[in-house]
Amino acid sequence: MSDTALRLTDVRKAFSGVEVLHGLDFDLRKGEVLGLVGENGAGKSSLMNIVGGVLPMDSGTMELFDEPYAPRSPSYATEKGIAFIHQEPNLFTNLTVAENMFIDGFPKTRFGAIDGKAIGRITQDCIDRFSLPVTPDTKVEFLSAGIRQMVEISKALMKNARIMIFDEPTTSLSRREKEGLFKTIDELKQRGISIVYISHIIEDVFRLCDRITVLRDGLIAGTSPVSEISENELIKRMVGREMTRIFPSIEKTISDTVLLEATSIKWQERVNGVSLRLRAGEIVGLYGLMGAGRTELAKVLFGVEQRDHGELAINGRALSHVSPGVCIGENAAFITEDRHNEGLLTTKSVDDNLSLVKMADLTNRVGVVNVGERARYNRQAIKDLQIKVADPKHQLANSLSGGNQQKVVFGKWVMKDPKVFILDEPTRGVDVGAKFEIYSIIVNLAKRGSAVLFISSEIQELIGTCDRIVVMKDGCITGDVPKSEFDQERILQMALQGQG
Amino acid sequence: MNELYAICKRNVWPVFRDMPILPLLIVSFIVAIVYVPLFFTLDNLRNYLLQSSDLLIISCGLTFVVLNGGIDFSVTSILTLGSVVGAYIMALSPLAPVPACSIPVAIVVMMGIGLLVGVVNGLSVTKLKMPSFVATLATQLIVLGLAVQFTSMVSDTSSIAGLPEAFFVLGGEGRFFFVPILIAFSVWLVSYWLLGRTIFGKRVYAIGVNPRVSFISGLPVKRTIVLLMVISGLFAGVASIIATARNQVGMSSLGDKMFLTTIASVIVGGTSTSGGLGGVHKTLLGVLFITLLNNAMNLLGVGWYTMMIVLGVLIILSAVSSYLLSSRAGWTWKRKVADV
Repeated sequence: MSDTALRLTDVRKAFSGVEVLHGLDFDLRKGEVLGLVGENGAGKSSLMNIVGGVLPMDSGTMELFDEPYAPRSPSYATEKGIAFIHQEPNLFTNLTVAENMFIDGFPKTRFGAIDGKAIGRITQDCIDRFSLPVTPDTKVEFLSAGIRQMVEISKALMKNARIMIFDEPTTSLSRREKEGLFKTIDELKQRGISIVYISHIIEDVFRLCDRITVLRDGLIAGTSPVSEISENELIKRMVGREMTRIFPSIEKTISDTVLLEATSIKWQERVNGVSLRLRAGEIVGLYGLMGAGRTELAKVLFGVEQRDHGELAINGRALSHVSPGVCIGENAAFITEDRHNEGLLTTKSVDDNLSLVKMADLTNRVGVVNVGERARYNRQAIKDLQIKVADPKHQLANSLSGGNQQKVVFGKWVMKDPKVFILDEPTRGVDVGAKFEIYSIIVNLAKRGSAVLFISSEIQELIGTCDRIVVMKDGCITGDVPKSEFDQERILQMALQGQG
Repeated sequence: MNELYAICKRNVWPVFRDMPILPLLIVSFIVAIVYVPLFFTLDNLRNYLLQSSDLLIISCGLTFVVLNGGIDFSVTSILTLGSVVGAYIMALSPLAPVPACSIPVAIVVMMGIGLLVGVVNGLSVTKLKMPSFVATLATQLIVLGLAVQFTSMVSDTSSIAGLPEAFFVLGGEGRFFFVPILIAFSVWLVSYWLLGRTIFGKRVYAIGVNPRVSFISGLPVKRTIVLLMVISGLFAGVASIIATARNQVGMSSLGDKMFLTTIASVIVGGTSTSGGLGGVHKTLLGVLFITLLNNAMNLLGVGWYTMMIVLGVLIILSAVSSYLLSSRAGWTWKRKVADV
């Protein structure tokens, strides 16, 4: 018996003749947490899909606990003890916790009916194991993202998972939930379960993992124990070049013109009297923990939700009824945190997505769209933002990698040259290289005289790009820190305790 | 030979994959020519196109709604109400003795009925936030009920006859057979242009895929929905003019069989009921195909109920084929892109 849980040897995979995995050797030891990092498009997802039986490999071998392993389907992989925990839990929100646990095989009574007692009992055991604050018959829709994830982990344990693969598990979790998840991962490790942890958040990977494997352009760029590699070396290994600058340094000036002024905005107990000013050329960071009301504030400012109280003026004009259409008329733009449901028409082409906002300007009085102009603007955006797309006219938005999808959303708005730009978590799920490009887009917009409101949960990126950071807690602003006084601990304290 | 194969693969295959109904239509047409007696005669082909014309108009209107992710059940009721009210104006009302006056009035009223019901549908969906399924089911019942009530009030039978001769031109009477065909083709062309070239059309598709993304991107979602409901109603009104003129009577049962064939034409044509995919080019093929079946089965003496069975099977088949083809199409795209 070796101590290897999963070993891949010379695995190759090509998509219509283009090889994306060029002969990978990969091993996961028993009871270890292995970090898997790499830029978007490096092949992480392809690799994990092969392990999970979603995709077949073209050549190579896999061994699972020293036995040859060739998954034919995802359910075969589950049966063999491989479980996936995705960034969005795969649970049925309209069913209860217990029903979700048993959805693919309910225990039956002698008469063929579902054995409700057994379900309740087994589920209760799982709940007790992690002391989750739920009962077996709580509906999943009432649970927070963190608890949902715990339910999913419990479900995997119930099926005797021996290997758990976490794919960006923390993106929808609050800070506290994230701590809880890390604790759980430690416990899983104690039980001898092997874990692959895929993430873009380098600090987390360093904190959690025993070893880190870097994937770059379909090849393993190295595996090292955490103690033997620094963050900088890791990033260098990921991008294949020295990342001397994580944030762009571009000179710009802030003028006194106020482009957006919000006064005591209130909305449904989630936003409790927020006042905010954005000046031309200024990048204002908005920091806060999950549930602090940042996203809600952004939605109210852009008229996606109607404010209950307060004043809003864009470009010096007071707006009584705000809708996205009105805001776009005042040359404002809004990148939402939820790319799939609010940002992209995922089943439409890249071209259709890019021109969605700008199209109204490219239309004559009869309503005919100027196709040539439209194509010209789209090509320009693809070039300016370096969107990697082969055939923008036919390729669907959801066929792009996360970073490129986000660039398409940017392109849609940047084409209008917006004066007020509200960004909600614009770098979520985006790799290191693309992040830098997105920061550059933001800073360049400010340089041309736009006012930017930059919402993020990553304090470093706010410190790296913003001129001022506003902190929110419980729907109120608890701090407003100028660039000269940026201090990570103090900002965090404002967000946690409401004072600096 | 190899060259021919390459040309086919490059140019023909993508078209067939986009519109699986096209090869089916061609094959069915050939089969009909060979096996159905009297099918390939000038008289019958003219008849075939005439039968297609009102179906095409009404299906084009419905295509707008389906592309937007909605449904409009009220179209065939509009057809019926338009038919009986129009016939009443031309045959029984005080205006009836003066065709030069009654015909234009009837035409305006028939289109007006469609417009009005369309507005009601549009406002129910946008202002009262009813799903189009529910809103148009309600108007379908109300409008059909009104049509039957109205007919029984003004006539002893379920139809109103005695329309002026001049009106039949619009139905393609005699040497004017090209009139309804031309009208239908124009309506189709306008729809094609609206959907393909104008911002309104682009919005219909975008909202059909995801109304929330569209709203946040500043598209006038509600205005677009009202507008396309109005178009659907209006087209049904236009179709009622042509159908009434062709049948030469106003009938309260005119829309009964049209309901199935209209929805079948749009779906079998290949416009997705989940919204955002398809178009009137597909609906045209759907209409030609469904009418071909109808026509051929009539000639063969097959009854309506057999036709219903065939239509049902076809809807299932088209759903299966579009699912298979689209999932494969999605697959190839995924393969082309390195990051899966």
